[in-house]
Amino acid sequence: MKHLLRRRFTTMTAVDAIDLSIEPGEALAYVGPNGAGKSTTIKLLTGIVEPTGGEVRVGGIVPHRDRQANARQIGVLFGQRTQLWWDLPVRESLALLRDMYDISPTDYQRQLDRFDEVLDLGALLPVVTRKLSLGQRMRADLACALLHQPKIVYLDEPTIGLDIAVKDRVRDFLRQLRAEGTTIMLTTHDLADIEGTCERIVIIDDGKIIYDGGLAEVKDRYARERRVHLQLGTPITAADLAARFPAAAVTPGEAHGEFTISFDKSLLTAGAVLTGVAQLAEVVEVRIDEPAIEDVVRRVYAGELNITPGPADAAGAHPPSASPTSAHPAGTHAASARAAYAAGAADARAAGVPGAEDVTGAAGDVDPAEEASR
Amino acid sequence: MKVYLAIARVTARSVLAYRGAYALGIAGSCFQLLATTALWTALLAGGASIGGFDLPEMKAYLLVGFATGLIGTLVGDWVLANRIRDGQVALDLVKPIDTQKVFFAQNCGGLGLEIVFIAVVSGVFVLLAGPMPGPADGWLFAASLAFVLPIRFGITFLTTMLVFWTENHHGVVWARDGVAAVLSGAIVPLAMMPGWLQSAAAVLPFAGLTSTPALIYLGKAPNPGLLIAIQAGWAVALWYLARFAFRGASRQITIHGG
Repeated sequence: MKHLLRRRFTTMTAVDAIDLSIEPGEALAYVGPNGAGKSTTIKLLTGIVEPTGGEVRVGGIVPHRDRQANARQIGVLFGQRTQLWWDLPVRESLALLRDMYDISPTDYQRQLDRFDEVLDLGALLPVVTRKLSLGQRMRADLACALLHQPKIVYLDEPTIGLDIAVKDRVRDFLRQLRAEGTTIMLTTHDLADIEGTCERIVIIDDGKIIYDGGLAEVKDRYARERRVHLQLGTPITAADLAARFPAAAVTPGEAHGEFTISFDKSLLTAGAVLTGVAQLAEVVEVRIDEPAIEDVVRRVYAGELNITPGPADAAGAHPPSASPTSAHPAGTHAASARAAYAAGAADARAAGVPGAEDVTGAAGDVDPAEEASR
Repeated sequence: MKVYLAIARVTARSVLAYRGAYALGIAGSCFQLLATTALWTALLAGGASIGGFDLPEMKAYLLVGFATGLIGTLVGDWVLANRIRDGQVALDLVKPIDTQKVFFAQNCGGLGLEIVFIAVVSGVFVLLAGPMPGPADGWLFAASLAFVLPIRFGITFLTTMLVFWTENHHGVVWARDGVAAVLSGAIVPLAMMPGWLQSAAAVLPFAGLTSTPALIYLGKAPNPGLLIAIQAGWAVALWYLARFAFRGASRQITIHGG
């Protein structure tokens, strides 16, 4: 049955269509600047809001139509809100969820034991929610979201406001979930949450998917810059180093003898830099910056990097790895995309986004049958 | 069903945690009860009667009005309104539960403490305010009392839906409570109002909140069965109206900040 699980959704935000499908067991990072439409997508996927056009499907269920059936198969964590009962001990909130999802006593106990192991939940059970610290609250909320062992989990900023220790704990837990085959959609501003958990990243901006592909590929394609930080024992100038590596940029550090050499990894390797420097000077210390996804995303947000979809993405914004989805008839996608534009325009007007009228023209393209079904 | 019972139970425990604060609110309503009693005592001194009510009857009417005015209000509209306004309602919507039933269960969760307050205040009032008639027909009175909670819930839930549009609860509450106070007969018995207003009030749901149980208590309803049937009809109709409204209203969930 699980193999039949396939999700294909076309969602729309303020001004454009989002065409996205997630495979069972996939861990997807969904990132974008504030107001990009991340939470809207999650609200559409959970059935909280109804799309004004297009189609949303989760595990074969249309969320806004079968909200409760959908709710049984998903777990949701909104990092900025709590689903715990404010005036009650954590244990009571969990017991309520047990009744809500008809969890058997054995399953319930097993889950509590497990949460105790990974989230140290046991200590929190007797504590009244309003007395929890933010980190404790988030651990308890994670337990709430996952108590019924959902096969699909949406996590909206699960590490917001947490200290390093708790963040690490949450991330470990996410990796564990991922290893168990839970489908994860992770929204975050802290990109360290993604590394190690998600292998696919979708970057959205302005209600539009601007990148959809492997995390490794995005780094490979857009985070080509490597930096080697050197502490040299021999007096040498930046110009000497620059002359040695014409393809790299050399900047002197704050302290004497410190230099940073930045280069494109396709033109130079860290090994070549080290060998070259060693011929000129004594190398005391070396540090090499790993390419961080953060750099890429920061540049995308800032508008410095114009990500253009590669040939694989152009086929319908699907990751190259998700072959089952590509088998979808192309016509379905096209129809959804048109519907999405019309809806997008309507939404944009409601939200007061200027320029929405520009898109209304596309409404004429909507399939009449689809229009009627709304 | 089990989960809604659990929610009612959990709400009852939350309510108990704040019993002191609630008791303070009740003290305010008691003061109002005393003031209106003093007023009617002055008006009906010396065996006078207005609109067919003499003083002992009026006292009983006011007490029933106090009791029915308390039912279903401890965990009332502000719980739902706040959840809508701050967006917490989104969390209810990702659960396999029916939001309307959840709020009804919470509404019922306050009932225990409400009954305690009613019992205490009634006891003291009867002791202090002197003789007044008992219920004309205990069973009919109980039946009509039982519909107060669902009717109030329906009106509350329905009007609170407006918060999805207004994003503010106060105006909605003031308007509703003002209308309900007059048309339910909580301020003065409906019998003392102009004919056209009486006719209107008779078919509106508000009379079921105060007037109907109070008149049945006093045995002044010419056809108590019909009045209870109207109550029942409104309880059911409001439930489905509210359901329908919620479906429309939840589409109003705005997508603040993407």
